[in-house]
Order: sequence, then structure tokens, then C-alpha cells
Amino acid sequence: MATPSITKLEPFIGKRIRRKEDPRLITGTATYVDDLQLPGMHFAVVVRSPHGAARIKSVDIAAAAAMKGVAMVLTGRDVADLACVPCGASLPGLRVPEHRLLAQDRVYYVGHPVAVVVATDRYIAKDAAEAVEVDYEVLQAVADPEKALAPGAPAVHPQWPDNTAFTFHQEGGDIEKAFAEADVVVKQRITSQRLIPSPLETRGCVAQWHAAEKSLTLHTSTQVPHLVRSLLAQMLGLDENRVRVVAPEVGGGFGCKLNLYAEEALTSHVAMKLGKPIKWIESRRENFLTTIHGRGHVDYYEVAAKKDGTILGIKVKIIQDLGSYHQLLGPAIPTLSVLMIPGLYRAKSMCADVVGVFTNCVPTDAYRGAGRPEATHGIERMVDILAAELKMDPAELRLKNFVRNEEFPFPTATGLIYDTGDYAAPLRKAMETVNYTELRKQQADARKHGKLMGIGMSTYGEICAFGPSPATPAGGWESATVKIEPSGKVTVMTGVSPHGQGEETTFSQITADHLGVPFEDVLVQHGDTAIVQYGIGTFGSRATAVGGPALYYAIQELIIKIKKFGAMLLESDDVSYANGQCTCAKTGKSVSIKEIAGAAYRAMKLPANTEPGLVATYFWEPTNFTFPFGAHIMVAEVDPGTGAIDIKRYVAIDDCGNLINPLVVDGQVHGGVAQGLGQALWEQAVYDDNAQLVSGEFMDYTMPRAHMMPWIESGHTITPTPVNPLGVKGVGEAGTIGASPAAVSAVVDALSPLGVRHIDMPMTPEKIWRLILSKTTGSNA
Amino acid sequence: MKISGTNTLALAPEEAYRRMQDPVVLAACMPGCESLETIGEDEYRMKMKLAMASLSGAFEGKVRITDRTPAGFRLIVEGTGKLGFMKGEGLLTFSQSGDGTEVAYEGDVQVGGTIAAVGQRLIDATAKMMIKRFFEKLAA
Repeated sequence: MATPSITKLEPFIGKRIRRKEDPRLITGTATYVDDLQLPGMHFAVVVRSPHGAARIKSVDIAAAAAMKGVAMVLTGRDVADLACVPCGASLPGLRVPEHRLLAQDRVYYVGHPVAVVVATDRYIAKDAAEAVEVDYEVLQAVADPEKALAPGAPAVHPQWPDNTAFTFHQEGGDIEKAFAEADVVVKQRITSQRLIPSPLETRGCVAQWHAAEKSLTLHTSTQVPHLVRSLLAQMLGLDENRVRVVAPEVGGGFGCKLNLYAEEALTSHVAMKLGKPIKWIESRRENFLTTIHGRGHVDYYEVAAKKDGTILGIKVKIIQDLGSYHQLLGPAIPTLSVLMIPGLYRAKSMCADVVGVFTNCVPTDAYRGAGRPEATHGIERMVDILAAELKMDPAELRLKNFVRNEEFPFPTATGLIYDTGDYAAPLRKAMETVNYTELRKQQADARKHGKLMGIGMSTYGEICAFGPSPATPAGGWESATVKIEPSGKVTVMTGVSPHGQGEETTFSQITADHLGVPFEDVLVQHGDTAIVQYGIGTFGSRATAVGGPALYYAIQELIIKIKKFGAMLLESDDVSYANGQCTCAKTGKSVSIKEIAGAAYRAMKLPANTEPGLVATYFWEPTNFTFPFGAHIMVAEVDPGTGAIDIKRYVAIDDCGNLINPLVVDGQVHGGVAQGLGQALWEQAVYDDNAQLVSGEFMDYTMPRAHMMPWIESGHTITPTPVNPLGVKGVGEAGTIGASPAAVSAVVDALSPLGVRHIDMPMTPEKIWRLILSKTTGSNA
Repeated sequence: MKISGTNTLALAPEEAYRRMQDPVVLAACMPGCESLETIGEDEYRMKMKLAMASLSGAFEGKVRITDRTPAGFRLIVEGTGKLGFMKGEGLLTFSQSGDGTEVAYEGDVQVGGTIAAVGQRLIDATAKMMIKRFFEKLAA
């Protein structure tokens, strides 16, 4: 591939350009699924189980079906012949329960779909759904993954009484030797609680069946429209090219819309049966109960080290709460945790054992960071615990163990190859920002006055830019088409499916610079399988780091063709292309991209062996992941009387390689930090002993709000990746991964004079208050 | 959720014991009870309305009396409705206390579905309030 010869004076890449997306979002003119209205549209409502585990004795639909306006009621029996909801994760020996669109003879979690009611409007449908009478024989349920593994626990799926979906083992280096040679071994149980992703827009879809063409159009709130199309076509027995999936404006995903859900297939099935457009919109209460949850880890760590702080080896046992079924990627998520176990450290020996556990809860799956925050949280907590054990400064211990700059590309004990890094740089920058040495002195002073002040840190690594195809379930490449219209305007069609990440803006910047056209002339289209060639979608911090290079290479192909037309028009073989102009080196004459486009489409004359038109498509396959990194420092004060945590400072220094748009990057970091702090301080999905979700609304599930957030001081170091020509690494998940360990580190540091070494999340004031009380008075209030 | 407590009634133990098994009295005293009809020995079909937090809804179910001894009996109330289900079970024991009767109760309340997801943190307070009202009406 030829390198571009662009000498643009004012590049767009690297500028804080306001997002093209925002005017429609902030003026309320964006079109979400629920904004769609189609003639004759009916509305579907799902009847759901109120029990965590029960046998269905009977379902009586007579009263519901008889209600005026009700068009159809389907129960499990009616969909027994349809394919199951697919699981894309493949692990040796994985037990995959049959995940039917509606429950058959048993329900496995609260919220399990039992019947679907379709009516002329949503209110009738809701009333009719309440009239469906289901007779249940309630069975014993189990919600806690450790209890589910205990002998004699109720079996979630009766055919698998041990509740074990899979076990997975990976090791690297020589773990026996590492522990044999250790001067010190630290151990800790560390949990990463269940979380509810809670996008602002819940799930929803509108299905329309075109009977004469045997084709289906599904508008759905998804991160992966092409994947939904392929899977849905398979499930419903339709030709893939006769299924069109559109992701209109999507109000947040965070991984929970990286899936094919039963309701998407069910709505489509009903539309096909009834011959009417069908809308299904998930209520907020349904969203809590039935959209995938994230995390759900109980981990047991052991770290072996020398007296001088050199980390030798890491052992971990991971218990992953999978819930009752597998959604698309659920069982694969903890294997990503395993890959991430070495963190940023040189330790060459590791050993991980994962057990995936069925519980009577909604399935867990990818949630912002997907497996990597769990591992980073664990390993960063362990490094802090080791520092406390060795009475070393936690920053010093980290600096001692970081992979050194000259060691890249660095092969890890888990078989990855870290592309590039300067791991000390963001930590040093964060330490300078807070004036670390001075801060430690202030802390010593504050302690003398009885104040509980803490300085916490995390130095995180990530696996981003998913990914090389062998490492992903449906291909890890990405695609782009660049089309110069006859007028010279530029349309980009990308296979990624942005839903808040701002690629309409950042991809316009890339196109403006590399194609040499005005930023305003570029239109980025996405999220419609009838418009976009094909694509994988947006997840795993991949859009800019895989979709961006695909766009870059499509532009390079297009420039070759532009130059052919330019040479023809300038009647010269020696032309260069820059800033939207083809210029003849000899004569200095030039033609604009607009003139070239006109000639390419008018096609009065064509260059040799060249087709008319100016369109190029590129499918780009990365050779490796990218491995962004960074350092977060949080300073906090704990109120000993109330357990309240006051965040004094929050510094996030991230290295995601080159920044296309620092404004967008900051937005990603801020949102990520908010979600990480949400987990660290407030959020927790709680199921009781009967597997009832008791944190089922925002009164009980504490989402972070603006006034609860600290001022985030964000900064960057820039170490471009060699994996792609843009040098970008991805930043969608960075904030989330860095934040939770930094926050726990700060609070533990504040309470360390009381003998506290670790606190599990969420660190609610009540939990902290009880902990302080038990440490100071021995009371277990 | 476990519930337990005591309540003193200005009634003789025999009278308290009798009233608390009388469907007419039960229907009048159980908060939200709209109807109670006998369907068998010590078994009644019940319709009730329950309001808790932002929720209110109708429940249909059964009231049963079991484990009858001279000292007391077990009262079981279960219902389902569009908000989910509820099940309460309590062992009631009666003993002389001065001129009146001390009724001790010990039991368990379970809720499921929307009512659990949304109202869990209020169940304790709601159950206590309902028990208090029940005894107030019973003594009246």
C-alpha cells in the first residue's frame, strides 16, 4: 500500500471538534426505535415469570385472547419448533442449555419470557398480558454462584446438578517454581459484583414482514446490526439477503446490546405470522430483569513475590456467575479476564482456573470492559496488598514490575504479545499531577489529626481493538466504503455501528485529512445492513482502532483511482494528489476532486483499465490486538462518623495512542470513569435467596449521577501502536477499567491505619461505616 | 423476610382465638381485603388490594389456617396478581396477659416479581404496618 503524500496545512485529526451527532441528540430530533410509526403497526408485550425457578403447570390465554384488540397470544408450545437463542462462545465441554424464545415447561429466572401478547396498541397489549394466567409450581432457586457450586444446591438445569457450565484452565511459565522461590505470598478473595448496564434507551425493536418478497426488516436497538441479521436469518430460516437490520439512533449499549435477544426473534416471528408490523419496547423494569447483566465474579488470588517486590507469579481461581442461560458471548467473558491477568507486569508465570456457574438469574455477558475490568481490578488490588505486606510504596512496587520499554513487543505468560508501551509514563505523569510526594506528607499530617485520607492508584492495561479474527466469534475485521459522489461530496459507509462513540465526527476527520476534502463534505453512514456493505459492529474498543484503519485503506485505494483520472485530465503521467487536488509536477496545473468526480461519473473518457465511478471498499483484518494502558490516581477522605467517601481528586492519564479527537476521547474517559466509580461505590444487582432481583429500580440500584461525580482531571501520554496505520488503540473501556481499582485503593489506603487491606465493592457508606466500627470497637453493628 | 412480634389485645384469650379464625372478622380486619369466601375447612379464597411504594395492585389467593393447637395456629396468606406474588406465613400463639391476651407471631414473608424488584426495601415497614392495623381493627 502506497503511503499518502498529504501536506495539508490544517489537519482535522487531533483537534477538539464538536460532534456532528450532537445537534440532533440535544434537540430531540434523533429517531430511536420507539419513534418509528408504521401503518397497521401492532404492539407486543411479553408475559414474564415472577419466580426464579418454577415448573409451568398450565398457561391459560383464553381471557387475554378474548380481549378486544388482541390479535395474537403465543406460548412456549407455539415456538417449540423455532431455533434457540444462539450462544457464540465456544469452549471445550461447554454445556449449552436450550434457550427457547419462550419458556417451555420450566422457568429459570425472574423475568423469563413465558408468553407474548400482540394487540393493536401497547396499552391493550399490557392489559391482556396481565390477563394471561400461568399456574406455577415453585421450585427451589439459587442465586449465589458459590452456593450454587455447593453440594446439594438446587439444580438450575436438572440435567446438570453440579450447576457447572464449564471449567477452563490456562497456565504459562512455571507457576510451581515461581511459588517455590517466593519470599512472600499474598492471598485475597476479591469480588466483582453483578451490575446492570442500564443504557438510557432500553432495548426495543420493530419488525416488518414483506410477504410478497419474503423479506423482513427489523429496526432494533443494537451494537451489531450485521451480526443480528445473520443470526436472525438462521433462526427464522430466512435468506440472509432478505433480512434487513437497521440500528437507528441507539441510546447506549455498553455491551448489553452486543447480542441477539429472544425478543428480537419473537417480534420478527410474530410479524411474519400476523403479517403486521410489530413493535416491542422493553420497559425499564424489564430492562433491570431481562437484559444481560455484567461482571459477577468471585475470584481467589495468590501472588508470589521476592522480598524486593519482584512479582514472580500469579494464581487465580475465577468463579463466574453466568446466570441461567448463555447469551451471545457470556461464557467467553471470563476467558478474557484470564488473558488480562498479567496486567502491565513482567511476571512470567501465571495459572488460572475458571468455573462458569449456572444460577437462577438473568445471564451475564459483556459489559463495558468485558472480563478485563474484573482482572485489572483483581491484579491491581493484589499489587496494593503486596505493597502493604512488603511495606513498600505502591507506586514504587508498580514501577519496579512494569514491562520495560525495550521489551516490546512483549510476550505475556498468557500468550498475548503486547504491542507497545511506556507503562511508567502515565503513572509518573499522574504522580506529578497530584504532586505525589507532597501528598504523602499531607496524608501523614492528616493521619496525625485523626483524618482518614487515602491516596489510591491503578495502572491498568487493556486488550482492545477486537480483534484478529481467530480471537472473535464472528470475524474481527472491519470494513469501510468511501464513495465520492458526482458532486465531489464524500459518503463513508462503515461497518462499525456507533451508538454514542462519535464516529460520524471522528471518521469525518480521518476522511478529511487523508482524502483531503472539507470536513463538512463528509457524511458517515452506519447501522443499516441495506446500506453498509458488511460489518462486525461496535464493541471491545474496536470502532476507531479497526474501523478507522479500514477507512484509511479504502481512502488509499480510492486515491489511486483519483490519480488515474487526474492524470488523464491533466494529460500527464506524473501527478500527485493532496488537499483535494491532483497536480501535474511538470506544468503545475491541477484539477479538483470535484472535477475529477464529474469526469469519473460522466465517463466521456476513461483511463486505461479503469471503470467509471469513484468508490472503494476495504475490509481490514488486524494482525494483533492493541494494548492501551494508563494510570488513575484518586485522593479521598472518609468520614469516620458516616462512612461517606469524599473524592478530593481524580486524575486519569490514559495512553490510547494517537488521539483523533481529544474531545471525544475525554468524553469516553469521563463516561468510563463514571461507570467504574459506579461499580466501586454504589452499583450492585442484588438477588435474594429466592432469586428475586431486589435492586430492580433506580431507587435501589444506585446509578451515578452528575452531582455524585468528582471533577475528572484527564490527560494523556501518547504511544502510537504499530498495529495500524493510524496509531490508534481504542479508549471506549479505559475509564471503566482504570477507575474501580483506583477507587478501592484510595479508600483502603484511607482505612489502612485501622488494619484494612481490602474492601469489596460497592463501597457504600453503610459498608464503610460498619467496617470502621468493627475495626475501632470490635463491634459488628 | 422474617417477621416476629407481639401484640396485646384487650380481649380474653378465648375470644381473641375465636375472632382470629372467623372469616367475617378476618375479612374486616385484614388491610386491603375485599372479599373472603369459604372454599373448604379452614381454607378461604381471598381478594385483596395491596399498596406499597409506588405500586398498588389486586391480588387473588388463599387464606389457610393450619397446625391448630389449643395455644394457637398457623395463618397462611398467599396471593398472585399483576405485580407478582406474595406469601406470608405466621405462627400465632395466644396467652393470658393481665386482663387481655398477648398474641405472639413469628413467620416469614416472601414476595416476587415486580413487587420484589421495586418494593423490597419497604416490605418490612409495610408488613409491620399491616399487622398493626390488623390488630387495631381486631380489638375494635
